[in-house]
Amino acid sequence: MALYYRSSILNSMIIGGLIINVGSILRGAWYGLKEYGSQGILVFLVVLGFFLQGCGLVFDAVELVQPLARDEMSAICSRGQLRVGISVEPFRPFVFPAVFTDEGVRVTGLDVELIREVVDALTTYCDGQKPIVPTLHLTRFRDLFIELNEGHLDLFVSSIGGNIPGARPAGLWYSIPYFQNGGIGAMIRTPEVAEKIRTQFQKQPGSPDTLVAVQAGLSGLTVAAQRGRTSQLYVEANLKKIRLLLCDSLPAAIEMSDPPIDVIVSTHAILDYVTKHVWPDWRLLTRNDGTPLVLTQESFSVVTVEEHRRLQWFLNNLLYRLEESGRLEQMRRRWLEEDYAPTRRAAAEGLPFEVSKVPEHYDQGQCRFATGR
Amino acid sequence: MSFRNRKVSKKDILMKSRVLLFISLSLVFFLTWSSIGWSLAPREEAETTAQYLATLLNVGRLIVDRNQTLINDPRKGDKGFTPEVFEHEVVNEFTRQTHMDLKHLPSHLPSLAKELLPLLLQSSKEVVADAQFVINQRGIGYKNFIPATFGSQAARKFSNRSHVKIKQTTLNPRNLKNTPDAYEENVLKRLAAQPASNTAIIEWIDNETTLRAVTPIYYSQDCLACHGSPKGILDISGYPREGAQEGDLAGAISVQIPVKSR
Repeated sequence: MALYYRSSILNSMIIGGLIINVGSILRGAWYGLKEYGSQGILVFLVVLGFFLQGCGLVFDAVELVQPLARDEMSAICSRGQLRVGISVEPFRPFVFPAVFTDEGVRVTGLDVELIREVVDALTTYCDGQKPIVPTLHLTRFRDLFIELNEGHLDLFVSSIGGNIPGARPAGLWYSIPYFQNGGIGAMIRTPEVAEKIRTQFQKQPGSPDTLVAVQAGLSGLTVAAQRGRTSQLYVEANLKKIRLLLCDSLPAAIEMSDPPIDVIVSTHAILDYVTKHVWPDWRLLTRNDGTPLVLTQESFSVVTVEEHRRLQWFLNNLLYRLEESGRLEQMRRRWLEEDYAPTRRAAAEGLPFEVSKVPEHYDQGQCRFATGR
Repeated sequence: MSFRNRKVSKKDILMKSRVLLFISLSLVFFLTWSSIGWSLAPREEAETTAQYLATLLNVGRLIVDRNQTLINDPRKGDKGFTPEVFEHEVVNEFTRQTHMDLKHLPSHLPSLAKELLPLLLQSSKEVVADAQFVINQRGIGYKNFIPATFGSQAARKFSNRSHVKIKQTTLNPRNLKNTPDAYEENVLKRLAAQPASNTAIIEWIDNETTLRAVTPIYYSQDCLACHGSPKGILDISGYPREGAQEGDLAGAISVQIPVKSR
């Protein structure tokens, strides 16, 4: 922060000096040309117009010489706010649906607790004179990327997988993982589907090949994945012989009855939570020995834009420290393994969010068959 | 003539002194009586206002309770439970309970009540407005927008804007901000020990400068889904059930009006 103030003063001096110099040149030119009457004034204005074209370049040059004064970390410190995007579609236990509490409307979850850690660390970074306040922008998952690219957000955290091929849009940067014990899994409504997979595993001599068993076992079935999530990328790349339904959210897939969905593919940790606590009619797809069948590994990252190097290092260093100290592990256990009531946690530790950024009547959306397969 | 005149004068003086005595006594009596009257007026005004405020907050809770199934319907997006719909239902229910139209308050109503009832209604409407996003989420069942959370928020909004404090309280609060103060705890214990009654306990404390009104709330059948048996088992919001039975004391609405501050 001291560096920030020093660079601000330096920048102010440089810009001030430039203004004084340019001002004195212009004043000299004005008095010189004024003596030629209206024609002189006209010439002065035309020349001034030419100079103004380069103003942006002057500021760019100053930015290049002293970039610190305008970097994203300094901007966050001076604003006193961290603008965080978070998905309105619930990804329990990472983001729970917003609930009403005695304190007002709140969101909670592992991702929200991570945001609290980030703003606490930012408060310390910014000298701790005023706490950095997280401003949560609850928005549709698909809009998070747009909002970040358009500069409306500093970062977003919404159980985003960064290690799946095709998951990283150009121009965005993914942090080191804060959650890597997961993967992509599946849940089913009827036991027959699990039987089909198990039969495929039994057919394999020697060490099992999950992909081959899943490809054969799910062949001909109706499989749903959430549009834009890594599960869609996995299914599109690996499961060719299925009927793929792309849904706007997990609740939309659950509600879908025509056609009936045989399998929902999504983040394993999310499916593990919802089959236990939210939709008990569904069960996790498991291996023959009863352990969950994870289709591929996936790790979650915090996302920001490519250019924000200082913020990126700040996030990576923070996540590394949280992992090193065992804090991240404690958070993961707290949300994934403990028995708790999300409503109660929302009341105690949830964060408020910008209602203006939220769709007026959040709709879970719908499912449509994928085209061009 | 002069003698007669002198005699009349004495009589006049006596008369005049009697009239003066009568006027003085009347004045003393009038002043004493009127001073009693002036001190009574704000007390009665505060007591009436406190009871109406408690009734209005309770009516708001009742309307939220009546719409609970709609609010928690996961298959419906826009529930139509807008602040205006809420207000309409509150006004109707308040009229039913008190025979008084909140939209056209009667002239005989104390000025304090005329000032504060619209403020509480407005605060309650704002709570419903704030909760619209949560209420209208589709695909989400339980949203924790329940009489208790509504009541806490409405009471807090109102109390922040007024010199009058209103609060929901109970002996074993789930929300620690609803913990009773020493006075409320004492009254709640008294209420818990006596048969159910809808009559508020109204007392003046701090040398008669502060009105405390505590209106009891009793568990109805609807409340028992979360507060009933089996005791200790977590309810839908994650709090352990109290093991209560219908008719047990649930808590109270506490109103505190400092008279001198007006």
